[in-house]
Amino acid sequence: MLRITNLEVVYCDIILALKGISMEVPSGKIVALLGANGAGKTTAINAVSGIRKTIDLSIEDGSIEFENTAISDKEPHEIVSLGILQVPEARRIFADLTVEENLLIGSYSLQDRSKFRQASDMVYEYFPILKKRAGQYAGYLSGGEQQMLAIARALVAEPKLMVLDEPSLGLAPMIVAEIFQIIERINREQSTAMLVVEQNANVALSIAHYGYVLENGRVVMEGPTEALRENKDIREFYLGLTEIGTQKSFRQVKHYRRRKRWLS
Amino acid sequence: MEKAMEIIINGLSTGAIYALLALGFVLIFKSTGILNFAQGELCMVGAFFCYTFATLLGLPYVAAFLIAIILGGLLGAVIDFLFFRRLVGEPIFSTIMVTVGLASVITSGAGLIWGHDVYSITAPFTDKTFVLGGVVLGRGALYTIGISILLFIVFVLFFNRSLLGVSMRGTSEDPHTAGLMGINVKKIHMLAWAIGSAVAVVAGIFLADQSFVRLPMSHTGIKAMSAAILGGMDSIKGAIVGGAIIGLVEGFAANYLSGMVVGGFHFGDVKDVTAFSIMILVLMIKPHGIFGKEKVERV
Ligand SMILES: Nc1ncnc2c1ncn2[C@@H]1O[C@H](COP(=O)(O)OP(=O)(O)O)[C@@H](O)[C@H]1O
Ligand SMILES: [Mg+2]
Repeated sequence: MLRITNLEVVYCDIILALKGISMEVPSGKIVALLGANGAGKTTAINAVSGIRKTIDLSIEDGSIEFENTAISDKEPHEIVSLGILQVPEARRIFADLTVEENLLIGSYSLQDRSKFRQASDMVYEYFPILKKRAGQYAGYLSGGEQQMLAIARALVAEPKLMVLDEPSLGLAPMIVAEIFQIIERINREQSTAMLVVEQNANVALSIAHYGYVLENGRVVMEGPTEALRENKDIREFYLGLTEIGTQKSFRQVKHYRRRKRWLS
Repeated sequence: MEKAMEIIINGLSTGAIYALLALGFVLIFKSTGILNFAQGELCMVGAFFCYTFATLLGLPYVAAFLIAIILGGLLGAVIDFLFFRRLVGEPIFSTIMVTVGLASVITSGAGLIWGHDVYSITAPFTDKTFVLGGVVLGRGALYTIGISILLFIVFVLFFNRSLLGVSMRGTSEDPHTAGLMGINVKKIHMLAWAIGSAVAVVAGIFLADQSFVRLPMSHTGIKAMSAAILGGMDSIKGAIVGGAIIGLVEGFAANYLSGMVVGGFHFGDVKDVTAFSIMILVLMIKPHGIFGKEKVERV
């Protein structure tokens, strides 16, 4: 469905942020894109969403195709109309608008306006709390509710592919678990393909079918979820599952702790 | 009592004109981040548009009115396309200077086309009066207030209920994310310019009824700007209330303060001074204006 081939992008004509990455999101599947801070995850999905001019990003090489059409030179609104909706990093809900108005904007790309009622009912079914908050300003929602609203706002456009940028960021583990369950349910029931960008590998791999690991603008590893979960490096670097008992020196333990905090 | 009634109605009709202009000013500012110093010039050109079709070409007043509004909208869109599309996000100093330049271009252009004389438009309500509670008032004031209120209701509904209006508010808050929702941000900016100019034209036509059609009409722009700032630069509500306040204060000052003699000191025409003093006073107490708010805190 989405195919990225040898994508190379630069910021401000000099900073090489993606050094030829290739990846694919098959229709109806959940794909995880993992990587530490600064790896290039947001850059990759902004390239997919057509966000270039406003952040001074340009595609130097490679291609992005959606349903066998090249999309790498399309404008953001054209890409949305093809059915790719992004749930941006840090949620970016419209704080001065009500929950309902946020959803209304989310539905902007729905051509058939008579579908809006039905689409927002569907969304409220996944996020009942938003229905309770419908008339409130989105800026006053809790972090978890704002993340739900950001997902709901994309979902109401009935996307074919949803791209989520670090939905777990800054949220309590229980809320993260709840949100990821809903993401999985949406995927199952609406057959919406998902590209989930995460630093929290654990939770992302709990719902993904396939995963990629990005480091310094390169895909350094990829595979089906089970294979990734078994992989020793992934266990160590991204899941924080080192066998701590065998580590003797304090320094190593401290290092592990530091890494764990940095990853989770 | 009757005098006060007369001052209030006339003050409100002037205030409605300021409010319309301020509304366009706020709309353009909120949508594109550009402070349009040419708002008064758009108002002046609007009056000339109407004059051309109603007086010169002899079209029915309502037709001339509507054509002028449409032309005003187109002019706004063209201005956005030619100048401001590529200036979005540039420092506010540069964009302000471009609007200041634009203001003098419009004035010279209008001078070239229509000349520097004083003209007038004959409206169906020109020189007609009506009687309210024993006071005789110009019918133009009534139309100005009535149609402005109607327009304000339409705008409030548009920005709170319609997909496009809500999208414009969202785009002004966060254009990047609006783009991610499939909104063509450039189109929204152009629409803001078109609507902002079209309401300026309406203001200009009503203003022409109160005075004349002439180039210095554009000075109203500065009053509208004060109204917008007084209201908080933030909302339609603010622009309307700000406009009404300035219109009323001017009316009362012109009637009660101008020409007053206090202890040998003779007040001149203090109408403008009073309006600006009120603005300065309010801003000293509430620096964000009456309805201006600091951003809703993101949790
Ligand atoms: N607008 C920008 N201009 C220049 N460099 C940027 C910009 N955005 C990101 N970068 C750089 O690109 C790299 C990848 O960033 P990003 O895609 O945001 O990483 P991630 O989302 O994985 O944390 C980083 O080194 C970052 O400093
Ligand atoms: Mg990121």
